[in-house]
Amino acid sequence: MGTISKIHEMLVSGECSCAELTKSYLDEIEKANPELNAYVNVTPDEAMRAAQAVDKKLAAGEEIGMLEGVPMTLKDNLSTKGIETTCCSKILTGYKPIFDATVWEILKSRNAVMLGKTNMDEFAMGSSCETSYFGGAMNPVNTNHVAGGSSGGVSSAVGGNIAAYGLGSDTGGSIRQPASFCGVVGLKPTYGSVSRYGLIAYASSLDQIGPITKSVEDASIVFDAISAPDRRDSTCKGNVGGATYPTLDNDIKGMKIGIAREYLDGVRDDVREAVLEAAKVYEALGAEIVYFDLPILKFALPVYYIIACAEASSNLGRYDGIRYGYKTAHYNGTHDMICRTRSEGFGEEVKRRILLGTYVLSAGYYDAYYKKAQNLRGTIVKAFDRAFEQCDVILAPTVPMTAFEKGHAVSDPIETYLTDICTVPVNIAGLPGVSVPCGFNSKGMPIGMQLIGKSFGEAQILNAAYKYQQAAPDKFMDTKWGVRL
Amino acid sequence: MVTREDVENIALLSKLFVPEEELDSLTQSMQEIINFADEINKADADEEGFDNINNLSNVFHEDEVVESYPVEEILKNAPEQAEDHFLVRNRE
Amino acid sequence: MKYELVSGFETHIELSTRTKIFCNCTTQFGGEPNTHCCPVCIGLPGTLPVLNREVVRYAIKAGLAVHGEIAEIAKMDRKNYCYPDLSKAYQISQLYAPLIIGGYVELSNGRRIRLHHIHIEEDAGKLIHQHGDTYVDYNRGGVPLIEIVSEPDIRSIDEAKEYVERLQQVMRYIGISDCKMQEGSMRCDVNISVRPEGSEKFGTRTEIKNMNSIANIAKAMEYEYDRQVDLIESGGKVIQETLRYDDATGTTSPMRSKEDAHDYRYFRDPDLVTINVPREEVERLRAELPELPMDKCRRYVNELEIPEKDALLLTKYRRISEYFDEAIKGVKSPKTVSNFIIGQMFRRTETESDKELFELATSPAQLNELVRLLDSGKIRNNLAKSTLEKMLDSGKGALEFISESDMGGVDENALLELCRKAIEGNPKAVEDYKNGKEKAIKSLVGNVMKNSRGKADAMAAEAKIKELIG
Repeated sequence: MGTISKIHEMLVSGECSCAELTKSYLDEIEKANPELNAYVNVTPDEAMRAAQAVDKKLAAGEEIGMLEGVPMTLKDNLSTKGIETTCCSKILTGYKPIFDATVWEILKSRNAVMLGKTNMDEFAMGSSCETSYFGGAMNPVNTNHVAGGSSGGVSSAVGGNIAAYGLGSDTGGSIRQPASFCGVVGLKPTYGSVSRYGLIAYASSLDQIGPITKSVEDASIVFDAISAPDRRDSTCKGNVGGATYPTLDNDIKGMKIGIAREYLDGVRDDVREAVLEAAKVYEALGAEIVYFDLPILKFALPVYYIIACAEASSNLGRYDGIRYGYKTAHYNGTHDMICRTRSEGFGEEVKRRILLGTYVLSAGYYDAYYKKAQNLRGTIVKAFDRAFEQCDVILAPTVPMTAFEKGHAVSDPIETYLTDICTVPVNIAGLPGVSVPCGFNSKGMPIGMQLIGKSFGEAQILNAAYKYQQAAPDKFMDTKWGVRL
Repeated sequence: MVTREDVENIALLSKLFVPEEELDSLTQSMQEIINFADEINKADADEEGFDNINNLSNVFHEDEVVESYPVEEILKNAPEQAEDHFLVRNRE
Repeated sequence: MKYELVSGFETHIELSTRTKIFCNCTTQFGGEPNTHCCPVCIGLPGTLPVLNREVVRYAIKAGLAVHGEIAEIAKMDRKNYCYPDLSKAYQISQLYAPLIIGGYVELSNGRRIRLHHIHIEEDAGKLIHQHGDTYVDYNRGGVPLIEIVSEPDIRSIDEAKEYVERLQQVMRYIGISDCKMQEGSMRCDVNISVRPEGSEKFGTRTEIKNMNSIANIAKAMEYEYDRQVDLIESGGKVIQETLRYDDATGTTSPMRSKEDAHDYRYFRDPDLVTINVPREEVERLRAELPELPMDKCRRYVNELEIPEKDALLLTKYRRISEYFDEAIKGVKSPKTVSNFIIGQMFRRTETESDKELFELATSPAQLNELVRLLDSGKIRNNLAKSTLEKMLDSGKGALEFISESDMGGVDENALLELCRKAIEGNPKAVEDYKNGKEKAIKSLVGNVMKNSRGKADAMAAEAKIKELIG
């Protein structure tokens, strides 16, 4: 099922040329995108140019790497030189970066074929992709449902077979949640394993770039490629844990898989059952299931929102209509221009989070909110350290529910925030987490489970995920859309 | 308690305009989110707090000049520019 | 009632590292607008800062030079405020864990102005307001600064002036900044309050922002002191506010409008990691420091017997003191060297910046050679002086201007011979002297000087003549 390796084989064997392959993806995008709204910017010229370079190499009999010529996509918060990068916000309309994000630099140097930039919640703030200035991305399994968020465009494109894989970003679940909703694999790497340079920041201490793919081995291949130290990102150490691909198929007999009871609280029954079903698959594979408590998790969500919004309020201060992006048409003086530009350029959810972040950092509230949240962050990190004394990997649901119908998420902010309850602890603690499909609800919507690893323990969680995929291939599905391989 | 004045103040700090008619509903909504954030005060937190996620230290760049970008590139995305400067035109 | 002035300074000093604090763009002053810029220093979305290693070293040197304690752990914070010259809408600075804690600057009256801390931060870009339009140039954005925050220990305008001069001097000595106030590489925010003399309680302070010359600091403080005293005397109250000084009118006026309601919302910058300063690194940097001006001055006075007034002049600029140190090697009287420098050489380096560069045609080694000739008695002071002028004009050595016959002609025997001749040829003068006419000896000495073409030592000749006459 390894889509990347399948494409690689096709290209190497000459079954089709890279240009033909790319063209078929572009054709499918044209057909599917009006309904999926996965892409906000398709880049056929770029894609064909890269494809032709690969064909040239093949024609010359040169060897090509695994990712060469594989059509893919980037979330629209990853900077692409000369190609509009908007974070799906009005305030960045027309902005064309003058540099490439490090991850894109790496993939470009490997002749990745970028088909275009994909949809997301505005500035990655949301869980349904519906805060996008360009409207939400739809779920390829059922287009009455959202693709999830914030990397909804990537998961919609990958699930809908209009990209072989994509890179998203995950601040509080933005890779894993939409992957779970769309029935694909999403890896949020350890904080500091992938360079953030060129990722337009939402919350700097939580953001991390990772792959959304059709299979576990694809996630492994892409992660191994993009995880490298970067002298432009002080917080990036690279792939400290080593390559994940070689150990994917390792025996997991004796592996201790932990389940924290708190993760199962408040989770819909069908989701809980699917996760517990997966635990049984693991037992059958020889792993040992260990139950424990992680009571501190009940504070994870407020801690996450305080820290994320505080950092966001600072990160988003720079959008002032002077250096790039949108600028208001009529104003009276510089201060007025900045306020108007920001008020007109940001959507409601972004403004709400900026205001909340400003509030928790402001004089008189800093200690009660931001400082306290930072302290609790330390406590949560330690709680995970202790948990990993009892187990190798933690198994949890990715989201307490399946993809909601469109329009459902926008009403109540706090209710929407609650959908992040299973994903945010990983970001707070900087740990790796991968969402893997583990079943369907009664309406056929995918359910995802999450495997959480120790810091820089990507190899271990991908190993566990791969073994599950091998044992339960029926949980992975294709949709009616897109390129058939 | 989040007050209207609080919201006005943070809006000013955030450089965002809040229309008078939205002030009450926004104050209300902020209050709800703050109530939710207040949950954390029920927790006992370690006092030593949190440094950075991987406890990294001493990451530096060396003091060697790398050529800057051409000014056209720097100004490429500016909504307005003049004489190689970013410009905020305030004349009507 | 008499009022005491209380003042504390926040002094920003641009560090003369080659690159900016968070990117590798040049820090060179000036340059065409927006040509010293990259995605990082214009704050493009997605860019990240990486701290310049040398900035930390420079700041540590600054800290050591003012007796501060170098923190083992320092961190970078964001200071959030939105202004067009600040490309990220926050300035990366330090609040919670600055690099240097404490320290002091000692004044000539013996008082120590204590420092609260020194932190590192980035400079902002430059705004040009023209006909209501605002032009933005980010060349200066991201240039590294240290901010030296003093305690409110300054008690007079003279102390304030000396405090700034001392900082300027010591930072230039250790080579971390050129501290050019006119170019903005050194700027001061002056906090000032007044209180009845004898009172322990501080009055309400105002802050005069961005002062860029010592003369203006003095004028602004004088004005602000008078304003506050008048206000209090007339029953008013000083309001805590930020002021700007207007050079043209010599007055201060409030600076901020409601638009700039300030609450900086400092928090740890998540894009930057902790700074860990190993003690060995501190010691290594301490060893790199030159002898500091106060120490030098003390040494000149105590060991070289230079008058304090002269020692202060010699140590004001590092180049001069180094010139002096070089020129006195092996000479009998460092004072002579000092006199030449402060006299003839200072006349050729009139401005402060000339003195700072201290570029003269004559090298310290050449001056040293001249003074050695003088020391050995081979030439006399007048000849030395005129020779030095020629040396300074031409860059040539002393021996280019002093012939063999000018030198060494007047040894013990020759002097004796000259004195005998003078006595024999002037019996009248000898007679007069013997009869108690002290002055008569002068004409005998004059005769010796004349016959030696000025090379003889007049004092020695006089002594010799007295001896011969008995």
